[in-house]
Amino acid sequence: MASAATKDDKAPASNSKPEAVTEQKPAAALEEDDEFEDFPVDDWAAEDTEAANGSEGTQHLWEESWDDDDTSDDFSNQLREELKKVEASKKR
Amino acid sequence: MSLVVEFLSGIRRFALAQNGEELRKWLLVENNVPEHYFRLQAELKASFPDNGSDALEKLVDKCLPEEDNVSDGKGSPWPGFNALMKVYFEYWRDVDFTNLVNLHAGLSDLLISCANALANPTYGAMLLQTSLSFSDSLSKLVMGLTRKPELIAQIQGGTSGDESGEKKSIVELAADVIQKIFTSCLTDRSSNRWSPPKGKKVAVYLFANLTLKLLFACDKSRLAVQMFTNLSTSGPALSLYPASQRVTFLYYLGRFNFDYGHYFRAHMCFEAAYRQCPPQFLKHRRQIITFWIPSNLLLGRFPSLNLLRRPEAAGFHNIFFPICAAVRTGNFVAFNHALAHSRDWLWNRGLYLTLLSRLKPLVWRSFSRKVFLLTVQNENPDGTPSKKMAALTIDHLVTAASYVQKLLEGYLPLKPAPRARPAHINTIFMKAVTNSVSDAESNSLLAPPPGGPRHLMPTEGLIFGNKRPDHDNIESILAGLIYAGLLNGFIARNLGLFAVEGARKAGGNPVLAGWPNAYQSIMERFKEEHEEAATAYNSGESADPPGDLDDVPGWVQKMG
Repeated sequence: MASAATKDDKAPASNSKPEAVTEQKPAAALEEDDEFEDFPVDDWAAEDTEAANGSEGTQHLWEESWDDDDTSDDFSNQLREELKKVEASKKR
Repeated sequence: MSLVVEFLSGIRRFALAQNGEELRKWLLVENNVPEHYFRLQAELKASFPDNGSDALEKLVDKCLPEEDNVSDGKGSPWPGFNALMKVYFEYWRDVDFTNLVNLHAGLSDLLISCANALANPTYGAMLLQTSLSFSDSLSKLVMGLTRKPELIAQIQGGTSGDESGEKKSIVELAADVIQKIFTSCLTDRSSNRWSPPKGKKVAVYLFANLTLKLLFACDKSRLAVQMFTNLSTSGPALSLYPASQRVTFLYYLGRFNFDYGHYFRAHMCFEAAYRQCPPQFLKHRRQIITFWIPSNLLLGRFPSLNLLRRPEAAGFHNIFFPICAAVRTGNFVAFNHALAHSRDWLWNRGLYLTLLSRLKPLVWRSFSRKVFLLTVQNENPDGTPSKKMAALTIDHLVTAASYVQKLLEGYLPLKPAPRARPAHINTIFMKAVTNSVSDAESNSLLAPPPGGPRHLMPTEGLIFGNKRPDHDNIESILAGLIYAGLLNGFIARNLGLFAVEGARKAGGNPVLAGWPNAYQSIMERFKEEHEEAATAYNSGESADPPGDLDDVPGWVQKMG
């Protein structure tokens, strides 16, 4: 019955490096499956991650100051004209 | 020797050696197995037909006797283990891989039996790998079945309800069994919460993740609440577990918090998951940022170009940039277009309605800011600086909002507003359109579209469908923005104004004072809520301690 064991002979992967078993896939193939798949390896060293570089790796990922002070764009101009017209009509 | 006896002698050998990995390799349940499993099946059908006889049970007990003197490091079969083996043989005897209803019943019985055997405090741990493999098989089957409603009906027609007569879904039933195994692992006393896991405790997050995967695949994430509560109460520190388990768990915990509107907690989980996930796991990182970016949008932060240029974010610029641009400019028409443009992608990930409804306050913030910029008078008519309190006239905002509502309903410009009218426009036609507009509309630059205004869905309109924004609507929206901390000031009702506060403190800049940084305002409000919860707890009004500001229930980080 020992051949029952042949189905899955995956070696313990805890010491292997993730680079050895993964390949970068082209972005087009990324949408095929939206499940969060099992990782091909169990563990990896902290040095392989951005966490190892302190916060540097994940800095500048977010924009906190994004307010728009431009009032010369089309939308602003339309609003300005509308406000002018409606206000003028109220004064009539 | 019969195949059944030969099989049991192999199993006995592994049980005595406590070899969990070999037990898993032998106790296969899927149909892609070596041919001798089907010979075993034929033998079981012939020798042990389902006729109520206890012959199979007796054979198992005979082949797997409980050992009396077990030396250190060795194991022994136990009654629960033998019960599992009997169910395993019955599974193979009765299984029909072409009949998913039958397969579901067999696998469910097998996993329940395995969970019972695993609960044995002395030897149960040797069944960890087998439990994981059975759980995985049942999860896969259940996830597949949820797409086949006719089969679900057959399965659920056959199950009995609980005391209240309520029937559990097959997802709940499967999650219940896997959570039972999770609890077995969680309560294992081989190691404490803060030391490297031993015994069944090594599998706590494996089973947590398997449960979460199943629940999220079937849109039942709310059922994870109990598991997170149990982890908070007695779970081992996540940092003691391998990176793959940590990242997977944090991803699901982030999704859970996102689903329940805890965007800051979701952000913390996704950030930790992303930072611990090496760049070469492109697909995993993409899954994480798919939800991390919306979490931050809802906290008032936009993804930077630095993030959107990363390989895992390929294509995300087209989805998120137009949404951010619309929020930034306070342009509701562009906002609806941006979401409609990526509707399918967002909808399939459960993001569409959340972004549509929850980002609107930020669009209102920018919109009111824009109207203030367009209407504020910093100077007196004689050119001297105005000493009046900076304020937004609510009626101005009503006018601007009515204009936008008309644009959403498909109204057309009577003339291109800011520019001179192009020569080719037919003035007779324009006059005809103008004349057809009712008096109420005649003050606007917009005219109804031919065939009448577009019918809007409730969420598509500024207030509710085709409801025209009026003074009361706008006043209540401003009040909501003030309460949320997105606007700084108060409503002077008798004057019909939103009066900005703190302009002097903001260097005389009423825009900066009245419309403080969105992200900082949201975080400030979050801190205030946390302080309110702490005060309520300290005064005995609430029984639940709020924990630290950066605590995420379910994420065991440090000694409590």
